[in-house]
Amino acid sequence: MVAPRLSALGNCSRLARGFHALRSYATSSSSVNPTEVSHFNALASTWWDPHGSSRLLHLMNPLRHDFISSCHALKPHSTSQEGLRYLDIGCGGGIFAESAARLPNTATVTAIDPSMGVIEVAKQHARKDPILQEPGRLEYLNKAIEDLEVPQLPKEQYDVVSLFEVVEHISTPAVFLTSCLPFVKPGGWLILSTIARTWTSWLTTKVVAEDVMGLVPRGTHDWSKYINEHQLRAFFEAQDGWGANGGMKVLGCVYVPGIGWRMVAGGERWGNYFFGIRRDP
Amino acid sequence: MRARVPYSASRAKFHPLWTCHARQPHTRYATAAPLRPEIYDVVCVGGGPAGLTLLTAIRSTPATSKLKLALIESQDLTPARTWKLPSDQYANRASSITPKSEAFLSQIGVWPLIDPTRLQPYHHMRVWDGLDSSSQISFSSPSSPIATMAENSNLQQALLQRLEELAPFSTFDSTKVASIEDGPSPSSEDSLDLSSYPSLTLSSGEKILARLLVGADGLNSPVRTYAGIPTRGWDYERHGVVATVKYLERNNHHGDNKSVIAYQRFLPSGPIALLAMPGNYATLVWTTTPSKAAKLKTLAQEDLVALVNAAFRLDNVDLEYMSRLDGGHTEELNWRSRVAGVEEDEARIPRWVDSVQQGSVASFPLRYRQTDTYVSSRIALVGDAAHTVHPLAGQGLNMGLADVQSLVNTIEYTVKHGGDIGDEMYLDRYNREMWMQNNRMLGVTDKLHKLYGIGWGPVVGIRSLGLKMVDQLGPVKGWLMKQAGGIGT
Repeated sequence: MVAPRLSALGNCSRLARGFHALRSYATSSSSVNPTEVSHFNALASTWWDPHGSSRLLHLMNPLRHDFISSCHALKPHSTSQEGLRYLDIGCGGGIFAESAARLPNTATVTAIDPSMGVIEVAKQHARKDPILQEPGRLEYLNKAIEDLEVPQLPKEQYDVVSLFEVVEHISTPAVFLTSCLPFVKPGGWLILSTIARTWTSWLTTKVVAEDVMGLVPRGTHDWSKYINEHQLRAFFEAQDGWGANGGMKVLGCVYVPGIGWRMVAGGERWGNYFFGIRRDP
Repeated sequence: MRARVPYSASRAKFHPLWTCHARQPHTRYATAAPLRPEIYDVVCVGGGPAGLTLLTAIRSTPATSKLKLALIESQDLTPARTWKLPSDQYANRASSITPKSEAFLSQIGVWPLIDPTRLQPYHHMRVWDGLDSSSQISFSSPSSPIATMAENSNLQQALLQRLEELAPFSTFDSTKVASIEDGPSPSSEDSLDLSSYPSLTLSSGEKILARLLVGADGLNSPVRTYAGIPTRGWDYERHGVVATVKYLERNNHHGDNKSVIAYQRFLPSGPIALLAMPGNYATLVWTTTPSKAAKLKTLAQEDLVALVNAAFRLDNVDLEYMSRLDGGHTEELNWRSRVAGVEEDEARIPRWVDSVQQGSVASFPLRYRQTDTYVSSRIALVGDAAHTVHPLAGQGLNMGLADVQSLVNTIEYTVKHGGDIGDEMYLDRYNREMWMQNNRMLGVTDKLHKLYGIGWGPVVGIRSLGLKMVDQLGPVKGWLMKQAGGIGT
């Protein structure tokens, strides 16, 4: 079922390699890599430390909302912008999930992560804000997407399904993305951010960020798992019912020490980028 | 000045008190308390211009207008609401409002509520050296005012009036902050955890919790003390003497607002300034040594008038002599100015002061303060709680308003992006924007004070040359004027 779509991705695709990788983890039907889970469990304790290892993610978070807003601003408006339902996949310590839950036009946020340690951190942190304790506003589940029941009705589906800094940690991104698709409401958006696999991203995320400046812990990233924007684009172009009428948006972003994250058009060709695709209404 | 910048910046960034800002362990909230204290999104301590502007700006910004706000002010606000003075009297506390501050106050709907008959814009500024009168610099801005003089009470009343038009908030006036401690520990392992929220006990006994606690509470800020943020600086051995004065009536004069000049002369003991108020009135700000300030306050009215007139006309040696007299200043001034042949020219020196408003003479000590950071978790400091500046550039109130504008922009940004407005990561935007900017202004005013405090010949010569050069150099002068007007950053 997956294979015909993958053939559209061309040769040597990172997504195709991911498909092979799936066989090596034949014991599990999950997209989740156990090494990654244990790495993030180890990071859990410092997730909300403003000077800790997740600082860059905290600083990037406002840009995620800016990007989602820019997707919603694309014509034609297909869904109401009021009472949005979010599904945040790979939510980690809840940086994005908490912020989405606080927004006035949010109905509910469901946030999932396969790492037990980080879900615990996320739940503990949400206790600090009475708004997040309101019933139905924010729910954390220690689950992988494959463990979540696939919604049958549009009202159970989500206006925004987000995958922030997730696909580069997944062994089998094509399978994984395919599992995420049915959760998006017609007219809703699948939003992701990741890192392009280029020599610049190797230099910045592996050498500078991990080894030289120590901005993120060593071993956070596996450069060989990075996915380029054209690969994602090819994957979604092969899907029926996605991205029609200009419902696709890509924008690069770059971290400048001392200044912060900035959106940079064309940045997807050499480093971090956002990718949004709309499910046809 | 430049050399200090990286040092200060690294201190702000890496100072252990900032990164750890270990609060003193506080007494735990009594476990027996049956009701949870009210939680406010923003609790502002201090109802002066900065605090009231903060609340007004939050209420006037659509994204933040629904936040739950509380104001704690030790004074009764009723007199400020009903403040009224006859048109021949002016409060001695007046500030020079820069165009940037005015634009901000307009944007939040306050400026139209200020009594316009009590405002005085000025288009010209004349600054000269007390030891070398030929060394001077003058600024003119024909199209728009350099700044506008306003009584602080006039501004405060407009702020209170504007707040009444906006959605209500909790006001605790005539109320002091008795104590601030960390919020209650959670009652169980999965219940709401408010231990990071500052918990304020008011003098009324009431307890409230703050998602974000803003210290607009002045020099000895209790909020800053709670946050454990150190402040650095010194006391200038100087006091500022303020008074409302009236000029001699003039005949056949067709002056309009555009001809109004602000005068400042740098005497070795400190600058003396006359800033026009409407009609024949002006605000005097005379910076001098504590002993001279004390003397000025005890002088008979006509002696003080003579000394002010002398301070803008005579050589420093004559002035020093006159300052030591206990009386008879008028006669002394009359013959000394005749001998010196002082030429009366309004473009150069202010008109003769005729009288000092009864009861308007007051003084306050001058200080330099800068806190290591303006923010920590769930804390932000604005205005004098964050920094105290020498008044020679008239920037104190404007810096406080700029703090508020930046902080409200930060709060708006945080709300729009789903952040917690008490989150230090977001508050840091405010700190990054304002700390360096204020540090620059603090540094420049401090250096000016020190430079003009020197009476040694060679230094006087060099600074005179410098001032003359600046006066001749259009672009440099334009830049300086923008700084003074708060247009530049």
